[in-house]
Amino acid sequence: MSTTVDLVTPLRRPGLSATLRSEWIKLASLRSSWLTLAATAIVMVVIGAVAAAASASGEAVGAPGSDGSDPLSTVLTGANFAMLILGVLGCLTGAREYGSRMITTTFVATPRRWRVVAAKALVLTTVVVPVAAIGTFGAYAAGTAVLEGAGEPTVALSDSGALGSLLGMVLWLTCVSLLGLALGFLLRSTASSIGSLLGVVLILPPIAGALLPDSTDAVLQALPSNAAAAFTTITATGDIDISGAVGVVIVLAWTVGLLAVALRRVVTQDA
Amino acid sequence: MIETSQLTKRYGDHLAVDDLSFRVEPGRVTGFLGPNGAGKSTTMRLITGLDRPTSGTATVNGRRYADAAVPMHELGVLLDAKAADPARSARNHLRALAAAGGVPRRRVEEVLDLVGLTDVADRPLGGFSLGMGQRLGIATALLGDPQTVMLDEPVNGLDVDGIQWIRRLLTDLAAEGRTVLLSSHLMSELELVAEHLVVIGRGRILADTSMADFLSGADEHRTLVRSPEADRLARMLAADGVVVSSAHDGEFEVRGVEAVAVGRLAAAHGIELHQLATRDTSLEEAYLRLTQDAVSYAGHSTGHDSGADPTSGATSGPSADTTTTALTGSPA
Repeated sequence: MSTTVDLVTPLRRPGLSATLRSEWIKLASLRSSWLTLAATAIVMVVIGAVAAAASASGEAVGAPGSDGSDPLSTVLTGANFAMLILGVLGCLTGAREYGSRMITTTFVATPRRWRVVAAKALVLTTVVVPVAAIGTFGAYAAGTAVLEGAGEPTVALSDSGALGSLLGMVLWLTCVSLLGLALGFLLRSTASSIGSLLGVVLILPPIAGALLPDSTDAVLQALPSNAAAAFTTITATGDIDISGAVGVVIVLAWTVGLLAVALRRVVTQDA
Repeated sequence: MIETSQLTKRYGDHLAVDDLSFRVEPGRVTGFLGPNGAGKSTTMRLITGLDRPTSGTATVNGRRYADAAVPMHELGVLLDAKAADPARSARNHLRALAAAGGVPRRRVEEVLDLVGLTDVADRPLGGFSLGMGQRLGIATALLGDPQTVMLDEPVNGLDVDGIQWIRRLLTDLAAEGRTVLLSSHLMSELELVAEHLVVIGRGRILADTSMADFLSGADEHRTLVRSPEADRLARMLAADGVVVSSAHDGEFEVRGVEAVAVGRLAAAHGIELHQLATRDTSLEEAYLRLTQDAVSYAGHSTGHDSGADPTSGATSGPSADTTTTALTGSPA
């Protein structure tokens, strides 16, 4: 065991790209990251194919409330599961370092903390977008093939709104994982951030829809998952009469807004 | 160099660090001492910018740590050896940190080798022992080849070999002209490695002095006396106004008078002596005496209105001559 320190290693002035590299190594060096991402794509494709087969054999499928007759909704039945998995991945990315106290090591290595939040968000987006795209378009391809084989009606990518719905799904899944990331940084706990995310995205809309009078539909539309229904095959819990573009703006506003709040907390509060 | 100026940190009602001003100079190992809850770790967190000071400043090599161009080259830190993801391997942990700090990849292998973790570098950190965790923490601290090194309890969990190794390492780092700040609860450990001491209690400076001055300043000529006529001799010494304490029959300890004087007095009165021994004050004893007040003060204080109790000699103010104030002010 040597005691001397090898001196004068060349050091680069680290910028955001250094933090990005660091966060990429962190994500890539955890087996659970890859398992989660692979599971997302596989679950979407497999459930899409199974739902298509079930639909072709005449059984009612799809999320509660969907009529099961929309082929696009049928083949994207797995999106709800993908949303859960990617949301949890986002929460883990934000909160996991608080659980292990690794976050103090991270903030000592990168004292300009906004970079850590930005780098985690960018790295998460970089892995989630392709996975969500593979899952969404893979499910579409597999499910459509099954439906075609059974002689059922299908939706072509060139059909009105079809491609937009699929791309919208990729956007929505990415935003859910970023919402999870923001909640992870805000709440600093994996369990409570996952709980909050599921609460806001899955549980709150139906409860609010059931409890609030019809006159509050405008409010319900502002909930992220209801706004997402305007541009994806996700089913809303009330009457949605906003355009896809407005839905996208609402979902992006939620995502950017929550990330900004998380960033503020990370930068201004004690680690 | 590390410098704090009127550094203060308040958590709600609790004043964790209270108007702390001290300087850690390069080229020597400075020990950072204080009882549990004295504010050592909080001070270190303030220096790294993990926590924000309520008021005052802390700088590393003249700048706030967060403002450094290449932070990892300015300051290397071990605050919490377990602050790492248990699922990641040591090598990947260090690779991620090296990337964040702009440190080249090969430096990871250098520090792994330096702390002796190369063989276990690909094992997940969750399986690391406390000692291995400490070694990883030290590797992390040295990753950026830092000018200043700050280690919180680095020998925790290290075996004898490891303790000797880190002692050499810290001495070498200081000899290379770096600043080394080291907190430890092992007084004997600091005594061997630290040239300078900063002692705090209840968030305030109790002493900022060289190790030699700290030890000699606390020295009070403690002499152990054993005699069949211990009681008679003790009474005579007590009459002279020196402090006498007795633990067992036939034996007592005098303070404030040298062994020679005790021997002479005994000879003059024909008292038989069985043992007459001068005891050196160890750092641990000097430290305990100094911090006793700070600790007991903390024990009976209910509020946070520090400084309101003028009877506490050791916390009589963070003036430049705190050392002398604290040392002479502490009761024997």
